[in-house]
Amino acid sequence: MLTTIETMLVYTLLLGSLYLLVSIGFSLICGVLRIFHLGYAYIFVATIYLTWMFFHTLGLPLWLSIILMIVVQAGIAIGIYKGIVARYVKMEEKIITGLLLIAMIAQEAANKWYPVQAAVNLPTTIIPGSLVIGGTEISYQLILAAAFGILVTVFFVLFFLKTKTGLAVRAISYDINTSKIMGIQVEQIYMFIMVVVLLPVIIAMLMIAPVWAVDPWMGWGYMTTAILISVMGGLGNIRGTIIAAFIIGLTHAFMAFVIKEPRLMNLAALVVVVIMLLFRPQGIAKTESLW
Amino acid sequence: MELEIKREKIVLRAGTQKFEWHIEPRYWRNPFIYIGILLLATVLVYFFSPQTLPTLVEANLLAAIAIPLGWMTVGTGRMNFGPQFYIGAGGYAAALCSIHLGWPPAVTLLVTLVVGLVFGLLMSPLSIIAGGLYYTLLTLLFPLVFLEITFIYTDIFKGDTGLSGIAPFLSGGSYTGNQLMICLLSLFIMLIYMFIVDKIMRSKFSASLAAINDDEEVAEAMGVNVKKIKIISFAIPAMMIAVIGWFYAHYYTTLSGISYLPLSFMLKVLMVSMIGGRVQIYGNVVGGYFIAFMELFLISVIGDMATVMFPVILLILLLSLPEGLFGLYRKRRYREYLPTLHVRR
Repeated sequence: MLTTIETMLVYTLLLGSLYLLVSIGFSLICGVLRIFHLGYAYIFVATIYLTWMFFHTLGLPLWLSIILMIVVQAGIAIGIYKGIVARYVKMEEKIITGLLLIAMIAQEAANKWYPVQAAVNLPTTIIPGSLVIGGTEISYQLILAAAFGILVTVFFVLFFLKTKTGLAVRAISYDINTSKIMGIQVEQIYMFIMVVVLLPVIIAMLMIAPVWAVDPWMGWGYMTTAILISVMGGLGNIRGTIIAAFIIGLTHAFMAFVIKEPRLMNLAALVVVVIMLLFRPQGIAKTESLW
Repeated sequence: MELEIKREKIVLRAGTQKFEWHIEPRYWRNPFIYIGILLLATVLVYFFSPQTLPTLVEANLLAAIAIPLGWMTVGTGRMNFGPQFYIGAGGYAAALCSIHLGWPPAVTLLVTLVVGLVFGLLMSPLSIIAGGLYYTLLTLLFPLVFLEITFIYTDIFKGDTGLSGIAPFLSGGSYTGNQLMICLLSLFIMLIYMFIVDKIMRSKFSASLAAINDDEEVAEAMGVNVKKIKIISFAIPAMMIAVIGWFYAHYYTTLSGISYLPLSFMLKVLMVSMIGGRVQIYGNVVGGYFIAFMELFLISVIGDMATVMFPVILLILLLSLPEGLFGLYRKRRYREYLPTLHVRR
């Protein structure tokens, strides 16, 4: 029993930190831009398959492939903002449909050129080997990914609380019209947010690619987790997102190691989120604030 | 007999009789014209291209999903991104009753109606407790979780292989003859839905729907029973959508959650609504036929590249037609008040 609890706690920390990487960007976009970035799933797919395309198909070095992937993704993010988000800001359903189509195009293209049989396997392992904790073997890569999750979150918190750009972002998330009057370049900030939220997802995917399976449809699974965490935490609130990530991590670990029904992880998480929404419809933290 | 073609009308004089036919679309308001065109198209397809009948069925069903979804969207003031959840609920209810209890489609329809209504009522409080953002995200998740459940409880739902051995609508007779009858049934369902929703949208009840859609708080202050209307506008369309699941189950005689529950299917329904015209009842028919036939055309022309090109073309259409195909008509003839959707925070 003690081993089970130890394992559950270790995985709560691991999964919670990884989920932070996966969800913090989604939460920020929803909270700051006030749009549902349901195309968010494309970022997961694009990270793996663009890198693989540059690295494997075009034969470029891994570091260059990653840089090119980031540049392309930044271009796509700005294109999405200018082409869809900025144009249809008053048409919620149109933005969502457009963003979903982007995700659909990404996964269908990945599936067309690199189906599961292509065995995409990015060599992004930083530390090989594994560690045994409480009778559970955990790869160093996963531990490192979790550490990156916490580091990136700390970076985001400091950035939004201590820098002038962060102040502008917080101002926009409070009141966009007043922010405009105060001289904040809202368009630029929006584009900046669209690009900066790529960072945690890119880190997460590159870190976990050698450990967990990747396929063209993986984006929806990660996005589901991101949605649950963001809704639970309060859209756009980093503090709430951190708490929610670990609660969802705990729920997943509980289902996997105590109940021993890992297939029910998402269902259990959804139930937890719905129950919580009944008591706190706005989420754990105040939605209107970034911290 | 004399035929005179003017700019806006055709005049036919036969002796002392005079017949006028206005060319301008605004005069084409007789619904019988459209029903006649749809029936004629079905019969023509039956005689000249019977292999296209399943595409007509698909078009009718897509429109039949989008029409009640439009009512749900306007009445709750929020976009439900998981209508396929009710297709799954209705479809599985019908399929399980048909397989295990041997019930015919007419009886499973009753079960589907009850299941659809119960699920609709159970989920309807979401439209009251969850704000716009949360509502959208949660409705999006329900079908995905349902899909997971179908994979978890494979002894009941048979996972990705799906349930098979469901009683067909028609057994015996010629294949194309049966297809024609099924196609007409799908058309009938779609027209019934259109009739019901159209009547609602033209009734006094629609004023309350529009008020909720525009501003819930103001609507409540004006004496509209927001909660009651939201529950009605959620539960009944959910039941109507569940019937489409019943249709799919008995039409294909197999049912697999992976066919209807993923986002890709929902996206198709959304596109019917978007391409047809945002939450436009009649536009949904245009959108349904457009999407179904475009998919067929792409598959026949570019083969397996269609899976990539289909969403690309849909995206281009979405961006190039701000108010959808129906919007092109409305641009010329903007007459009735149509509720507009608002971004809710």
